[in-house]
Amino acid sequence: MAKCYALLGWSLPVIESMQKLGKPYVVVSFPDFQAYAEENNIPFVPYKFNEWSDTSNSLDLLEKLRTFDADVAVPLFEETVEWAGALNSIFRDDPRVLNRAFLFRNKAMMKRKALIGGLRVGLFEEVYNKEGVKKFMDRLNEANLQIDGEEDSWVHIKPFASAGTVGHRLLKSKEDIDRKCEDGDFPCLAESHLPGTEFSCEAFIHGGKIRFLNITEYVKLGYSNFIPEGHRLNSKRDRIMNEMQKLVNIFGIQYGMIHPEWFLTENDELSFGEVACRIPGGHILELASKAYDFDALGAFVCCHDPNLTEEELNELLPPLDARPSEFYGNVMIYPRKNQISQLVIPEELKEEPYFLDHTLVPPLTTQKLDTREGFGNHFGTVNFKGEDPDRMRELLLHYENVDFYQ
Amino acid sequence: MDNQAIAEKHQQMLEELLNEYTKATVLTKPEKAQKLMGQVDLMADSKEGLEMLFEQIPNLTEAGIFKGSPWEDASKLVPTLVNGTLKSGHPNSTIEILSELRLLSVAKGKFDLEGLTQEEAANYIQEVVVSNLEFVFNEPQEETRLVMSKHELSKVHSLFKFLSSYTDYEQVKAKIAEELYLICEQRPVVTEKQRKIIAWVKEKIELNPEDPEDQKLLSFQRSIYRPTKRSVGHDFRSYRQLLSTLSEDELKEESGEISEMMLKHGLVSQFQASLLLHLVEHKHLNLVPVCLGLNPTGVARFNEMSTYVMQLITEVIDPFNAQCIYGLGKMLENGILSREAVRSGLSNLLSIRIHPEVEKRILKSTRTPHEKVSPKQYLIGAVFRILGQPLGVGQGNNPTCQSARGISMWSQHAPAKLIHMIQTAAVYDDLTFRFEGREIKYSTTPQGLVQVLDHNLDAVSVTLVPMLDRVYNEMMRLASGRGEDPHKWVNPALYGQWIQMGFASAYDYMSDAIIDFDGFVKVFYAMCHPDYNGGNRLVYPNPVGIFITSAKAEMLGFHAVSLLRVDVDPKGELRAYFLNPNNEGRQDWGQGIKPSVVGKGEVYGESSLPLHQFAARVYAFHYNTLEATDKMNNVPEEKVQRVRELAKESWGKSYNWLDIRKKW
Repeated sequence: MAKCYALLGWSLPVIESMQKLGKPYVVVSFPDFQAYAEENNIPFVPYKFNEWSDTSNSLDLLEKLRTFDADVAVPLFEETVEWAGALNSIFRDDPRVLNRAFLFRNKAMMKRKALIGGLRVGLFEEVYNKEGVKKFMDRLNEANLQIDGEEDSWVHIKPFASAGTVGHRLLKSKEDIDRKCEDGDFPCLAESHLPGTEFSCEAFIHGGKIRFLNITEYVKLGYSNFIPEGHRLNSKRDRIMNEMQKLVNIFGIQYGMIHPEWFLTENDELSFGEVACRIPGGHILELASKAYDFDALGAFVCCHDPNLTEEELNELLPPLDARPSEFYGNVMIYPRKNQISQLVIPEELKEEPYFLDHTLVPPLTTQKLDTREGFGNHFGTVNFKGEDPDRMRELLLHYENVDFYQ
Repeated sequence: MDNQAIAEKHQQMLEELLNEYTKATVLTKPEKAQKLMGQVDLMADSKEGLEMLFEQIPNLTEAGIFKGSPWEDASKLVPTLVNGTLKSGHPNSTIEILSELRLLSVAKGKFDLEGLTQEEAANYIQEVVVSNLEFVFNEPQEETRLVMSKHELSKVHSLFKFLSSYTDYEQVKAKIAEELYLICEQRPVVTEKQRKIIAWVKEKIELNPEDPEDQKLLSFQRSIYRPTKRSVGHDFRSYRQLLSTLSEDELKEESGEISEMMLKHGLVSQFQASLLLHLVEHKHLNLVPVCLGLNPTGVARFNEMSTYVMQLITEVIDPFNAQCIYGLGKMLENGILSREAVRSGLSNLLSIRIHPEVEKRILKSTRTPHEKVSPKQYLIGAVFRILGQPLGVGQGNNPTCQSARGISMWSQHAPAKLIHMIQTAAVYDDLTFRFEGREIKYSTTPQGLVQVLDHNLDAVSVTLVPMLDRVYNEMMRLASGRGEDPHKWVNPALYGQWIQMGFASAYDYMSDAIIDFDGFVKVFYAMCHPDYNGGNRLVYPNPVGIFITSAKAEMLGFHAVSLLRVDVDPKGELRAYFLNPNNEGRQDWGQGIKPSVVGKGEVYGESSLPLHQFAARVYAFHYNTLEATDKMNNVPEEKVQRVRELAKESWGKSYNWLDIRKKW
């Protein structure tokens, strides 16, 4: 059993889970959180993850963690993945753990690895400027046998190392490239558009084996998702499981949780999108906890511990073949105007049997909104629960387009 | 889902979220509390929801929902702070509602709270109700309308409905009597508000005719339900039958009694319409002026044109359109009916055919439209009321102070123009205005400030306001981008050429700051202060823009009023008398600035403030450029500084101030 988990990042629900499970832990995060941590008796090491120097590096952090006897590092934020990798490679005495962490932080490297291992991926390339994207689009058009006057093939660009939808742009034409790309976007990854239903998996891994697999159905990327997966994806569960284990093997992941995104086409072709190994966005673990009735955050942390016993694992995780009868979904609400003055909860929502709860807060008097980064900061979430996944999808699509803020 | 199922679901969700909240550690309690409060917020806007919350309030309290908040120690709560908190929106208003439910639970002996007795809790609830009558009657004030959303209003209204079912009204009688007095003393054109309160009192409170406090409330009831001794036990129909058995002397007695009652509160009963129609029908020519409650001037004018007035009465008055009798009387007294143009205009109105859309609006504005009364009768009745009580024009729950101000100004100074405008609007559901050589047509201009018109207005306002609002908005659009407040050009174009060309604004568009406020105040005093303007009186109303501030003197928004006159009040203080189209008697603008509506020399419908206090809220007005510039130097510095301090410490905090001199 781990002597002490070093939690890199900041998440109150994770800390609460650790307290409830009675596991030893220390939180490593930005100095801003120190006062709160002291006030609430949270073991804490202040550290500036965004600084890398002679006095701010993993060896230095390791020293600071010694007093806590930490022996497992857990990344909570995207930005702490390399830090956790570096620490764990020392804890486990395996330098490749760090290399693996880099794999998660470079989307081009990640794709190459997947391709080498035999997963289906889109066409991708590292690009350095707008011209590069245009040339990429040209080659893609060529490969797709474009005839004069036909529309361009769609291209996505993404920063190498950002979480979720931050910096993600969909480019549908050459004009789009000129209009939407900014100099600051480069260098980055360009890739062809993958068609199909998008979903994510949350695989809890121990000893290189998937011990529990959740599938999250995306209704609209960045806006809404639900758990467990609907009927169609569920019928492919075995195939997905196989591909997932393949991914785990290719990447050589031993401990922790991975959160990849996949695309399933109408002809049942499965393509790999990208993968992360921190807590996923979209409140996914919150939904999973409810749907499967387990402590997903606690399990996420504990899976990082190589010394976790089989009994403990069985206690923490739902059975591999668990299939909840009720679906939990949410839709993230973004204001749709530049200036908002009030929150309006529609009557139909109050009367909706699937409606569970919401975390929407009224705006401060008349609030002007910052420009959006990625999909921007959502103002809150509306949660649903019900027995029919198709009805769930319908509701999530509907409420994504409702103006909660006016 | 049916209501039962929804209620059950809400109940279940509340319990689940409360359970999650209870189980959470201090780390995630705030997050769980947010969800829980979200659910409470959803439930708080209905009676059923409040009942469930009331059931759960001991559990919610014990789970710690008030912990660490200003509501934690119930013995330290202050009833007078409740109003402000309720207006501040979710989550504050939601926890405030829970706090009231908690106190009510203690008051009912259902729940024990340390440091608070049952009796103290009951007193607290009582005081909360008394200081929030605006919510009890669901008649929000201007400030409230500006800051509260529909959902918030319905939450708060539901709360007070809930609390009032547990309140002992003995304690609030005096407050209600004062509220009614303040409303009625302004003689508003629309009388629904006071009628609603009077009906509410009749239904809810047992009154004792021996008690002097109760007599006040009984007097309001009498003016509507039994204005004369003979009317007791009758409705207006059986009363009309009774009238035919009365002698001339008895009818005279009846007329005197009934008009006295009307003049007391400005409210007309259905009985009075029965009586008036009876008198006209049976040619009791000498009794009609008595029944109308006319003063000697009014009687003289009636005698001059009795045939015409009798025709108006026959064609317009009905027990279901009775309130306009008061307006008719006042019209005769103020001489408006003596103008040939007005009489012609009214005669024309009698023969128009109203556009179906306008008819719809008129019927919608009439609380209980009666089939016997035509929309035209309601419209002409409203014309009587407006011409008779020009200062009683109100804006209802609409952001249309501009339009209300216009109707009020025209009814005093251009009544025939107003009537003609009403006629055009009513017949064509359209209206045109001139603006700098262009024609602005209602039907071809885009939406104005009003999205959904609150029809709690008089029939003239529902006819005109949607059009005036749009025309005003279009003028504002055309005049914007000139680097100055567009009202400079819009006010004269909208209201009429008697608005002075000079326009002073404290706010400078180009620099986004308050510029030369001292100069601004000097010009204002040079325009209206009798000590510095050469002892002149104001001739026409001056359309003035003011800052609306909260009771804490914080900036809330802008409002349009008319400055009517500046005069010395009975105590010798110099006051500004103005028309505030929001008809509110109980306003608090902070810094001790509380406009008065009665008792400080006000004519019915006027509001007033000491002149320097009024000046401290003004941001724009019109003036005569030829006069003001040389008179402004007469204004002493200390008078200016007094205004400046009040302004700077209130709305002024929301702006930058630049003290460069400006040429006025």
